[in-house]
Amino acid sequence: MLKIKNLMAIGLAAVLSMSTGQALAQKTYNVASLGDYSGPFASIYPPVEDARRAVIEWWNKEVGAKSQVTLKMKTYDTRYDVAQTASLWPGIKSELQPIAILGLGGSDFAALQTRLPDDKIPLTAANGAYGFAWKADPWAFLSRPTYAHETGAFVNWMSERLNRPVKFVTVSSEASAGFADMAKGIQTYARENPTKAQLIETVFTDLQPSDLTLQMRRVTAANPDVIVVLGTMGQVIATKRALQTLGKKIPVLVSSHNGLATLGPVLGGMAAVEGDYEAHATALATAEASDAHAFYEMLQKNYGLKAAWNGFTIMGLAQTVYTVRAIERAQQKAGNAAITGADVRAALLAGPFRSSDLFGLAPDLEFTSQAPFPTTSAKVNIGTVKDGKFVSVAQGVPVPTVSKW
Amino acid sequence: MIDFLNYAVLGILTGQLYAIVAMGFVVIYRASRVFNFAQGELIVLGGFIVWTFVMVFKLHPVIGALLSILAGALVGILIERLFFRRLVGRSVFAMVMVTIGMIILLRGVMLILWGAHERQFPAIFPLEPVIIGEIFIPSPLLASGFLSVVAALALHHFFNRSRAGLALSAVSEDHEVAQSMGISVRKSMALAWALGVSLSIVGAMTYLSGKTLTYNAAEIGFAALPIALLAGLESIRGLLLGGAIIGLIQGLTSAYIDPIFGGQASAIVPYLFMLGVLLIRPTGMFGWKIIERV
Repeated sequence: MLKIKNLMAIGLAAVLSMSTGQALAQKTYNVASLGDYSGPFASIYPPVEDARRAVIEWWNKEVGAKSQVTLKMKTYDTRYDVAQTASLWPGIKSELQPIAILGLGGSDFAALQTRLPDDKIPLTAANGAYGFAWKADPWAFLSRPTYAHETGAFVNWMSERLNRPVKFVTVSSEASAGFADMAKGIQTYARENPTKAQLIETVFTDLQPSDLTLQMRRVTAANPDVIVVLGTMGQVIATKRALQTLGKKIPVLVSSHNGLATLGPVLGGMAAVEGDYEAHATALATAEASDAHAFYEMLQKNYGLKAAWNGFTIMGLAQTVYTVRAIERAQQKAGNAAITGADVRAALLAGPFRSSDLFGLAPDLEFTSQAPFPTTSAKVNIGTVKDGKFVSVAQGVPVPTVSKW
Repeated sequence: MIDFLNYAVLGILTGQLYAIVAMGFVVIYRASRVFNFAQGELIVLGGFIVWTFVMVFKLHPVIGALLSILAGALVGILIERLFFRRLVGRSVFAMVMVTIGMIILLRGVMLILWGAHERQFPAIFPLEPVIIGEIFIPSPLLASGFLSVVAALALHHFFNRSRAGLALSAVSEDHEVAQSMGISVRKSMALAWALGVSLSIVGAMTYLSGKTLTYNAAEIGFAALPIALLAGLESIRGLLLGGAIIGLIQGLTSAYIDPIFGGQASAIVPYLFMLGVLLIRPTGMFGWKIIERV
């Protein structure tokens, strides 16, 4: 009898220990990181990669460890090329079986957007959104609205300060689908907001223009309040040099991928970008104290983050933080069960992700099934260079409503 | 009227910048019948060489520029030694394919040596514009106009009046015949590549002065293509006129057509014009007409 009791006790203990062991079972999920080491954005990718790695390591140690979850990231060089991404993806999927993809921008969307619903794996990015990616029931997500929304937020803000419509010029390129799309979106915004914005002209040029003096001479004759250059750094610099040649002092608006903190040193110092603006829906790379900067410094100190504090690094941080937060929530909801890409997508759509959860790297994020980017919660931060220092001038500026183009 | 003059002058000078780049095409073609598809990458390489001398070694821009031109000549000799020496007497097609391979190889080597990040290119020419009356001319463009004329005249003299230049023309006709006449095809091709890469250095300096150096700079290689084809792939002096015509058309299109069109018509017009001319004159405006006895 005692033997039977002992056996039962041993059996119960074994069952309990097995179930406890199961609760603490280590789970490892893969995350695919799409990068560009040799294509058009090779110049900006290394800090993005470094930021992604540091966030994953931080999450594994400080969040994942508590629930026995480890994320493994593997990077693939897509050369920011649609065809290359499309051809690499089946191999990535079968080799890695990722639960999320960290994308770099428009080329990843163009290559994967239509097949991800079948693959059931969400893609996330932190660049401005594109009109061609603006589709319902998304599997590819962007933490920022379109460049047209961001530009619109800035122009609206400037219009309120000037108390009249803002006269502006955009510089773009037809050499890239993304840049051409930006121009179309901005034209749509201006058409729908005549009391706020007056678009003088869209100047189309090369990705690395030889000279823009001729074009700037023409458009500055209409006395624009600002020149919006959301394309390449080469386009911004050619614009600045042309204005210098013509002796014109007109502020230039840039985005995060050609931001002022990076642009200044390339032009020989921050004095060269005095009075210029930067506007987008991620944290600004200012030296001012902020949650985002504190998080960056913590990653530098504890997780070997080497990338400089600039727009590219912030994009990498923001993208990875909201992705790991979604994974975190998906795992919480699944409890002990393993999660899939579909669970991560559901967590993204369930939201909201408060800015505080994202260390202020992005505003509150609320994804809906209507668009791949936040349509209601998007807010823009505006910075400028004053006395040689990059400073914030407006935080949380609401974006306008812009129709699909 | 003053606006028109500004547009015309800037257009013509931009065309001269393309003409310098096109000279790289022409010099190599005249010596070997090889159309160098890697010309754009050579411009980027030239940019990195200048950047290294001026920004890393902290040399005076003028000294840095001169040393870069010399380094360019050495790179040209190295390219010939590594890739083209073994192809003497082979088909032109094989050589052209090698230049396509060079695009990938050069890009890879540059990424390893210099990395991919954007960097400030030194101001080889003053940042202040030259102002003539009411015409504002960026210094690098004015320099490109001056350098293109000097280079074209010097190269024309070299190809038509010097022994080495005439030897290059013979080599471009037929490797085996040239060798049988006692001309060293290898030396001639090495000289052509040295000249071609040196011109790429000059092109890079005028194109990038005071701007930013990225791999996007390779685009100018194909932007210069219509000028080379319009002038005729053997004509050095023709490049000056070809550059002026294409630059003027592009400049005026950009000024007057683009705003109406709402796009970059100015990017297409040079190619349309070039195709129109080539339909009438397949060898370009000043290209050689080959007369064969049968």
